[in-house]
Amino acid sequence: MARSVRSDGRIDTSLALVCVLLAVFALILPRRTREGFAASLRTTVLSPLVALEGRASSVRAAIVARNDVLVTRGQVATQALQVKAVADENTTLRRLLGLSARLQDGFVPAELLPSRGAGDEFTIALATGSDAGVQPFLPVVTADGLVGMVQSVDRATSFAITWAHPDFRVSAMSVDEGAFGIVQPHLGAGAERWLLEMRGVPFRAKLAPGTLIVSSGLGATYPRGIPVGTVLGELSTPEKWARTYLVKPSVLPAAIGPVLVLLSSRTQRGVNGVWTTVSAADSAARAVAAAGDSLARAAALDELAARRAALDAAADTLADSTLVFFAGGRGTEADSVRADSARTDSTRVRARADSGARPRVRPDTSKPRPTVPPPAVRTGPPPAVR
Amino acid sequence: MSRPQQQTPGIGSALRAWLGFAILLTAHFAVRPLFSGRAHVDFIVIAILFSAVRMRPGLAALTGFLTGLAVDALAPGSFGASALVLTLVAFGASWLKAVFFADHVALTGLFVFAGKWVFDVAMTLLTGGASGASLVVTLLLWSPLSAALTALLAVLLLTVFRPLYRPHTY
Repeated sequence: MARSVRSDGRIDTSLALVCVLLAVFALILPRRTREGFAASLRTTVLSPLVALEGRASSVRAAIVARNDVLVTRGQVATQALQVKAVADENTTLRRLLGLSARLQDGFVPAELLPSRGAGDEFTIALATGSDAGVQPFLPVVTADGLVGMVQSVDRATSFAITWAHPDFRVSAMSVDEGAFGIVQPHLGAGAERWLLEMRGVPFRAKLAPGTLIVSSGLGATYPRGIPVGTVLGELSTPEKWARTYLVKPSVLPAAIGPVLVLLSSRTQRGVNGVWTTVSAADSAARAVAAAGDSLARAAALDELAARRAALDAAADTLADSTLVFFAGGRGTEADSVRADSARTDSTRVRARADSGARPRVRPDTSKPRPTVPPPAVRTGPPPAVR
Repeated sequence: MSRPQQQTPGIGSALRAWLGFAILLTAHFAVRPLFSGRAHVDFIVIAILFSAVRMRPGLAALTGFLTGLAVDALAPGSFGASALVLTLVAFGASWLKAVFFADHVALTGLFVFAGKWVFDVAMTLLTGGASGASLVVTLLLWSPLSAALTALLAVLLLTVFRPLYRPHTY
């Protein structure tokens, strides 16, 4: 038993030694011989494993290629978005430059600092502070209109509430100064939270949707004429003595980028003419609409005049026919008389025509009337005149 | 007092052993290329170690040698290195298992970890693929990571496919 075990051990050791020697021999073989031997193994015994490995590598390459395609697609989409963002930013900055040129002085440009996350949607941090002259209660604006008001100021930074802040209030008016009220956040649910409402508008002042609302200048914080928003519609409230309107803000939350802080000197001087283009555009739109209404009114008057003329002509024709009827009842002499009469009428007509006087019988009424239908009569209310 | 007579593994056990070996060998060429990275699972080492504990040391050494030759044929730059190292690893594993290793999953994991690390260290030193700091990083970072991954997979295989890979004492 022990001899057998010892013999087996020797065999194992011998076999292992032989394997080791063969492996060392393979290691020290000339390179060409090793490669030839390896190639013969790959093409014969190991060919299935080589094919399997090649297929797995292909699968791996396909996966990597798919990832590359997805990554490339994502990069392209990101770049496209960046291009649009750059274009939007360019537009914003250009408009801000235009606003700066119109303001000329009395303002501080400010970049927005990154938001601090949730719960900070209604406040913006500005990269400018008291060193630049920023003080609390100064208005913050963009080229589109009012953004909010500076609330607190540090040396290099400041914090402003936006129009969506629950504490935000601005005395406002319609751009034609026909209605005044207080604009404040709507405080609705969902997307309506990002709207404004104009409260306390006198009941007699009815605002049409699309009416531009600007700051009224009352209250000394916001100068007169800064666009606040446009009227969307009227809200029904328990207050029967005043109207409340839903207002779409001029500066949308996503569009709040670089802003201008109007300094107190500029606030006191006012911003008349700075947002003139906006007001003028609104006035121009109203003027165009009014002009269109005037044209409609003129057309209606022309129609009435033409209709009146047609009725007059019909009345004249009827009178002539009646005369002819009575004259025809007297016999042949009457025919000559009628002919004379007709001739006389013609002569008279010619004479009147020569003299430039108005003929009694209008030329067009002696001819058969064309079968053109009479002008349609407008059945609706007369066009409003603004 | 007589010693309990050790059972000789039957044909079924041998077939299961070779089937497990073939599956791991196939996985080495079919699954391993799907993953990339410095630390990777070595199915060949698992196959050699699992089969070595069922064989006599001589036969295990021969299996390691032939398997190493197959691996070397696909990497002719170091032809013979894998054959040499796998021969030694298989022989040592079979001898160690015959001496004192028990049928324990955690010990088997440790066994595979040590076998894979020794294999990597020997291959790195033999092929001279790294030197200096790179050598240290390879031997002390990537090789243990690969060994750990390989041991983890070995334990998983031993747990899930226990009838196929259960060690057999002789």
